Amino acid sequence: MKFLINPNRFIKFSDLVFKPLICLSAIFLLIGIVFAFFLSPNDYQQGATVRIMYIHVPAAWIAVLTFLIMTLYSIIGLAFKINFSFIINSAIAPIGAIFTLICIVTGSLWGKPMWGTWWVWDARLTSVAILFLLYLIIIFLKNSITNINVSEKITAVLIIVGSINLPIIKFSVDWWNTLHQPASISKLSSPSIDPSMLRPLVIMTIALMLLAIVIGIIRIKAEILKRKLR
Amino acid sequence: MLLVNNIYFSRQSKAILKDVNLSLPPKGIIHLTGNNGVGKTTLLKIICKILNPDDGEIFWNGKNIKKNHYDYCKNITFILDQNTSNENLTVYENIIFWKKIFSSQIKINEIESILEVLGLLEYKNTSTIHLSFGEIKKLELIRLIIEQKKLWVLDEPFIGLDLKSVEIIIQTITNHLDLSGMVIFTSHTLPTIPNINTVNLEINE
Amino acid sequence: MSSFNSILGVFLRESKIHYRSFFHILSIFLFFILSIIIFVFAVGSNKELFNQIGVGIIWTIILLSNTLSIKKFFQNDFDDNSLIIIHMSGLSYEIIALIKMLTIWMFLQAPFFIILPIAFLLLEMQFDNLKIVYLSFLIGSVIITCISAISGSMNLLNKKNFSIGGLIIMIFSIPVIIFGVNIVNVSNNIEIIKAQINILLGIMFFFLAISPWASGLCIKISLQNK
Repeated sequence: MKFLINPNRFIKFSDLVFKPLICLSAIFLLIGIVFAFFLSPNDYQQGATVRIMYIHVPAAWIAVLTFLIMTLYSIIGLAFKINFSFIINSAIAPIGAIFTLICIVTGSLWGKPMWGTWWVWDARLTSVAILFLLYLIIIFLKNSITNINVSEKITAVLIIVGSINLPIIKFSVDWWNTLHQPASISKLSSPSIDPSMLRPLVIMTIALMLLAIVIGIIRIKAEILKRKLR
Repeated sequence: MLLVNNIYFSRQSKAILKDVNLSLPPKGIIHLTGNNGVGKTTLLKIICKILNPDDGEIFWNGKNIKKNHYDYCKNITFILDQNTSNENLTVYENIIFWKKIFSSQIKINEIESILEVLGLLEYKNTSTIHLSFGEIKKLELIRLIIEQKKLWVLDEPFIGLDLKSVEIIIQTITNHLDLSGMVIFTSHTLPTIPNINTVNLEINE
Repeated sequence: MSSFNSILGVFLRESKIHYRSFFHILSIFLFFILSIIIFVFAVGSNKELFNQIGVGIIWTIILLSNTLSIKKFFQNDFDDNSLIIIHMSGLSYEIIALIKMLTIWMFLQAPFFIILPIAFLLLEMQFDNLKIVYLSFLIGSVIITCISAISGSMNLLNKKNFSIGGLIIMIFSIPVIIFGVNIVNVSNNIEIIKAQINILLGIMFFFLAISPWASGLCIKISLQNK
């Protein structure tokens, strides 16, 4: 597992897995799209719009997971002085921001036909919007301090302070009586979702996660090379 | 006794200090010289524990300063090349502030006599924003007397001072050394400090 | 005992400096009053409307006024290296941050207690709510001070982008605004008020715990790379 904290090991490891990952993500994406559009039933209430779920839910998961990874790496980086964790932070922050944006946009596209409005100020939506703004502020702060040694560490502090938002996102549907439906997948033993819909959702989740990992590997490698050049 | 062992310091993967060794016995004085950018100020900041070296250790009276940081801080006065007096406060208020935070035992009339020697007594109640560069520098050097510490670390203490003040500072340093104090300072000109074993150290990359 | 002396010394010095820069502090409060007057002109003098949204306006403008004072936390002492001197007198960066937060609260937040009734007067609001607004502001101002300390210490070496400090304050103040304003809107039910106050207290203790650590760390990182 040394490749997670050592840039040289990471480059070696990523060279090994990069091509298989691209193939896998392409295959999964194709299967997922086929499943999502043709091999899954319409919802009896929501009709065809339920298919937005197959991109909305994975994007939300990736957005939150990315922030979680950044938080863990910030703690590791500040506590054990591992510079590679700051490289990872600055590489994957834009990925998280983009997936949060995808989540918000698909969510409001889904909300218009279902709830009759693009946007409501409910706890889940607001906390995800704050997550998006946090991502933006993290990226801005990193770029507005010239000294890169300072900027990456201070950004790590901001990420740790901002991670207070993660439990709020997770539990907002339980704590407040929200319009957004509560989690239906988390109960793995008996999910409150039909298997015919669960299947494409799982495939799309794997596909999008693989895609995010592929983009992440490219960005991390570019970041490593950029720091070597300086 | 201050021992600096094999200090290695790098900034953005560029080595600034490599294998620096210093030893400073009581009554010892070290004069650091070198071209701009060889890391004189960096070394002083490492000695004052503001920067952490990548490698190497510093010992104070046989104890590693990493472990007893606050005891070590009680023995050291650091005069930076910039002025640390606040420009909104008067000369006297700045001195009282330093006296307070360093829990100094110095008396008020002693402070006044020092101010008189340095020619600052008439500016006692003036905000430091109205003082000239040299006068602020002199105010800064008064901290040496107020703090009453053993080890003096001075970064370019003679810049901006007139000849008379330089004489006074050198005399103060000499007196301090006689009381088994220690001094490290950087300077581009070698001041004539009488009968003292000056160690010249060129820091090379 | 010596560290107590140092703490007292720093505290007295900060108070003196704030007292000297009296007009800067006054101008921040003038900003507050002027913003409320501009709000009245923009919305129009409507008593019922202001009774509904007045507390929200006041909280928003308090937040905006606070973004003006970020630089007063550490910037001057960082620029002239006094932070190093204070640190070498035996105080850790965390304690320095705590003292600064205390003085800033005393000089830049506590005067709002005098000005809030004026704001109520200008917005023609009912004075029944004043007590609850005081209570929520007492807790909320501590939270905002903590957040400003974090934001101010993060931007010590930031010479390019001045607005990012305000952004950091605003995004972390969102829960304060939500609960602080909500208290007044539910003011007829004592149980809900208690619950909201407890949540605000929880947020306050969280930030009181985290902000000396975060700002101390940021100061240390900035000093090391100056």
